[in-house]
Amino acid sequence: MATFELYRRSTIGMCLTETLDEMVSNGILSPELAIQVLVQFDKSMTEALDSQVKSKVTIKGHLHTYRFCDNVWTFIVQDAMFKYDDIQENVGQVKIVACDSKLLTQ
Amino acid sequence: MADQVLEGGSQPVDLSKHPSGIVPTLQNIVSTVNLDCKLDLKAIALQARNAEYNPKRFAAVIMRIREPKTTALIFASGKMVCTGAKSEQQSKLAARKYARIIQKLGFPAKFKDFKIQNIVGSCDVKFPIRLEGLAYSHGAFSSYEPELFPGLIYRMKQPKIVLLIFVSGKIVLTGAKVRDETYTAFENIYPVLTEFRKNQQFGTDGFDDNVMGENWEKGSS
Repeated sequence: MATFELYRRSTIGMCLTETLDEMVSNGILSPELAIQVLVQFDKSMTEALDSQVKSKVTIKGHLHTYRFCDNVWTFIVQDAMFKYDDIQENVGQVKIVACDSKLLTQ
Repeated sequence: MADQVLEGGSQPVDLSKHPSGIVPTLQNIVSTVNLDCKLDLKAIALQARNAEYNPKRFAAVIMRIREPKTTALIFASGKMVCTGAKSEQQSKLAARKYARIIQKLGFPAKFKDFKIQNIVGSCDVKFPIRLEGLAYSHGAFSSYEPELFPGLIYRMKQPKIVLLIFVSGKIVLTGAKVRDETYTAFENIYPVLTEFRKNQQFGTDGFDDNVMGENWEKGSS
């Protein structure tokens, strides 16, 4: 099964990658196994976001730029207002990258 | 220049050119141009802003700019279609801007055979129209099938313009290559519209239709 690697750039993904790198360079872990862990991380993130996250966020702002290429949407939103539950937060500039999860099951 | 004066809503209308006193507003201009070089659409979609490229669905990059607010379809052959502008000049300016974007991405884009392909205008005569009567007396030009589409489709022969005429008095004119064809077509149709002006009184033919509809519903239940 194919995976999306975009969650590797998140804080938790970066930390995992760093740790795996360290373990590989110290000879504790084989590079093959490290890669396998990352692939499992991709799968687990997709699954967890699908089944365990129930909160919804709305984002409203000025769409400065959009792009659709290779089935990936990229948006740059300026003066974005993020709303979730009763919390709201303003962000000057935010980049949103979105993939179609249906492509994974094909 | 005279045309620009006419476009301003508060400006006086040139009655020698627009005897009806109404000037159709241009709503959309479609133009084409040949950039005269082969294009790598994926490279364009990846580098340019506000671009969409989904070759499985459509074999062109769809790109938009904000000023003039337009959309361009850019094909690998170098041909381009520009839509959405409100005037001929704006359409040409927009097409030039797209060509410039393509040049900046490193393609030797030219600007060949720019042509306005279609002009769409609209206006409101501000009185209701008896479409059925109009369709009957102008049978050769009219197609009115309210079950398919609520407007009357009027295919004028000279100039060759298609008009969509609605009961409300709103008119859409399409198919023009130059704006004067739109204006001429409207001036041609205006006396016909006044002839088939609907009297806004109680108990018109529309009322009878409703009664028939109710009977039919009762009968069928």
